[in-house]
Amino acid sequence: MSSHAATTQVKANWGGGGVSPLGASYGKLYMWFFLVSDAFTFSGLLTAYGFMRHKYTDFWPNPGHVFHHFPFYEGSVPLAYVGLMTFILIMSSVTMVLAVEAGHRNKKNEVAKWMLLTIIGGLMFVGSQAWEWYNFISGTAEGAVRNIFVDGVWKDQLIHGANLQYNEYGLPVFGDFFFFITGFHGFHVFSGVVINFIIYLNVIKGTYEKRGHYEMVEKVGLYWHFVDLVWVFVFTFFYLL
Amino acid sequence: MEFNDGYPAYETMAVHDEDHGKHVRKVIWKVFWIMLGVTLVELFVGFKAESLGLGKVFLQFFFIGLTIVKAGYIVLSFMHLGDEVKALKWVLLGPFIVLVLYLIFMVDVGEGSYAKTRRYVMDKNVTDAPHHTSGETKQGEAHQGAAEHH
Repeated sequence: MSSHAATTQVKANWGGGGVSPLGASYGKLYMWFFLVSDAFTFSGLLTAYGFMRHKYTDFWPNPGHVFHHFPFYEGSVPLAYVGLMTFILIMSSVTMVLAVEAGHRNKKNEVAKWMLLTIIGGLMFVGSQAWEWYNFISGTAEGAVRNIFVDGVWKDQLIHGANLQYNEYGLPVFGDFFFFITGFHGFHVFSGVVINFIIYLNVIKGTYEKRGHYEMVEKVGLYWHFVDLVWVFVFTFFYLL
Repeated sequence: MEFNDGYPAYETMAVHDEDHGKHVRKVIWKVFWIMLGVTLVELFVGFKAESLGLGKVFLQFFFIGLTIVKAGYIVLSFMHLGDEVKALKWVLLGPFIVLVLYLIFMVDVGEGSYAKTRRYVMDKNVTDAPHHTSGETKQGEAHQGAAEHH
């Protein structure tokens, strides 16, 4: 069915029942509505982050000084690693949209190929994030003396790295937001990889070929692009600003 | 697959042939190069911000502006929202735009001006940050700052 004919039919049937005024299937609409609500959640998190950042604007750690590691390289290269992570995620978004496009042509093997590459990209991203967390948690060899709360009393102590209670690089709340927001996003990526994998298996099994359309790939594609979209904002607010 | 119920088959609306597919793929790669270029510019400016002496406000507008450009490409092109009917676009973007305007107002005008005008007490945990010793810090606020921490 050509898209032109379908559009004409929608207009002809408007108000006659059984026709979506939004011109989309219910599955896609529900995915969109879920994504909007999820976007609200992330907006709330980033706003809370903005509040704290404004409040402690003079004492906020410079992300360039915190995240400057690069694998197999001893020196300091601020932003390079997170730039690589961003590239990986954008790339996996591209392979996802290519899978959706192949689905529109009902090419089973092409869909499978691009979906597999998307899954690999997602795993690479989650792995990169684990490495980023590892560096942040273990910190520097020198460490820093911080006034921390241990066994009911405040005392000065040499600490390395960061966790939810203390932070070598500065305010503990920086670490809290970092762990929570990138963790929440990372969990989205992880879920996306799992969902993509399930859909990938269905593609291979020929479920969608039998069904006659690959809309399911389009729906998980929406979720996957959303994960990329959130990262674009996390990247800006956490690393660039 | 035949749909005999008389309803439009929304699931197959975007189905296209090889020729159109070629065009769609061309657009996808174009968007990819734009996004990559924007990200590289962001990284370069972020890397050089200190040595170039760029102002904080400029950087905020610069980075957030470019982020919105990227977000626009993702949502309109990758998520195909640009191809959906007008009603769907507004149903999804409308509420979100309202919320974001409100949040920007809260963070930038509300909390932002609060941080600029009120003398706040430094967090106890930061020992090497500059102290505010202009003598205007009130005792009550010092307590409040400490209480917040517990």
